[in-house]
Amino acid sequence: MASDIFGVPAAKLTGESSPETVESWDSVQHLNLVLAIEEKFGLQLDPEEIEQMKTLGATATLIDSKLQPSS
Amino acid sequence: MALVIQPYRVEHEAAVAEFNRRLQSASSDPSFVFSQSSVPRWLPPGNDNTVWNEFYVAVDGSSPESAVRGVYALKQEALFVRGKGVQRIACYHHPLSEGIVDRSFTSVGMLLARDALARQPFLYALGMGGAETPIAKMLKALGFTLTPIPFHFRVVHPVKFLREMQALREKRWRALLMDIAAASGTGWLAIKALQAMKSSATGIANTASEEIGEFSAWADELWNAAKETVNAATVRDARTLKLLYPENYSSPIASTRRLRISRNGSAIGWAIIGVRRKDAKFGTMRVGSIVDCWAMPNDANALIGAATRALEKDGVDLIVSNQSHHSWCSALEKNGFLKGPTNFVLATSKKLTELLQPFEENRALLHFTRADGDGLPVNF
Repeated sequence: MASDIFGVPAAKLTGESSPETVESWDSVQHLNLVLAIEEKFGLQLDPEEIEQMKTLGATATLIDSKLQPSS
Repeated sequence: MALVIQPYRVEHEAAVAEFNRRLQSASSDPSFVFSQSSVPRWLPPGNDNTVWNEFYVAVDGSSPESAVRGVYALKQEALFVRGKGVQRIACYHHPLSEGIVDRSFTSVGMLLARDALARQPFLYALGMGGAETPIAKMLKALGFTLTPIPFHFRVVHPVKFLREMQALREKRWRALLMDIAAASGTGWLAIKALQAMKSSATGIANTASEEIGEFSAWADELWNAAKETVNAATVRDARTLKLLYPENYSSPIASTRRLRISRNGSAIGWAIIGVRRKDAKFGTMRVGSIVDCWAMPNDANALIGAATRALEKDGVDLIVSNQSHHSWCSALEKNGFLKGPTNFVLATSKKLTELLQPFEENRALLHFTRADGDGLPVNF
């Protein structure tokens, strides 16, 4: 998903990839990433969660936590 | 980072000043600055105003000094929609994010936009420098519909236009051709001939134009008479016009004047005209603008004619106008204006676009001008 949105081959992206290391990851693409995640996973991200998406790794962790069934 | 987006209050002023300083020191764009005052200088809220500005700041609770990382403004106003009455809407303007200069704050821009949309789902933005700018792309991603607002221009002094219109002189060969056209007189002839060929304005007989100090009851009559000829327009009754164009408002950068146009002694319309602020793309030309206007469609020719003559008397070199309604576009063309490429775009949120359905059919009947949007006299 990130590869499609940022136009970067998936092999060049890692958990540490961030707006500071991926040139095409600007505010518009950040929004596109949020919208794509919300649509694909049926989630609604609040502002605090969006702020946590500082790297692809942090984003994946966020998605996992949101998809875990609450105990 | 724990951003809280909230109304801009006096206790945030120091943090906003610091935010402005960080943006200015990291960027060469002089427009990256927000109001130092938490109270809007133009259209402040209160006193039962029908239109007013609200400022919002994104405060970073994780920073020791509660730094501001983003700002935006909402111009709260009323939109008349034919057949549906008046709907409160807002214009989203002057969003600035620290993400512009520091990529660790990339998320701020979209958080500002989403916050504005949550506060007022009937939201629009205007201008934006075109459909390909980051703000326009962001709003499009949020489901906004983008509509270019037509741009027309009339050259008053062709030789100066040919020598000074920097936007057309970017290529050396073109600049050379324009210099030759200016020096030889052919450019003057060609432009005057083209504009004359297009002119076919009628309905200007027995009209008179006067500059007025303020709007009054006659403006209400005009508003009520003509509003059914548009699909939608932000309310332009006398009360609102007095707020938008207060008698004593002045700006060191640009000027506006109010014209009342009459036929046989009765008001048939009004126009707001002015001289634009200096802009590098126009070189040293004095550029006049027909900012806003209102009349019945069959009086549009007369109104544009009067506004044009008033600006020519002011000694401007070029006159420009952005008008969305087809009657005004037609009136501009009949008064010898030429159509040019536009970077003035209207973005309407999903809810607002739904309200204006069928949008494709109604697009040319929307009345949006340079007076809408942030509408600041300095920005037209």
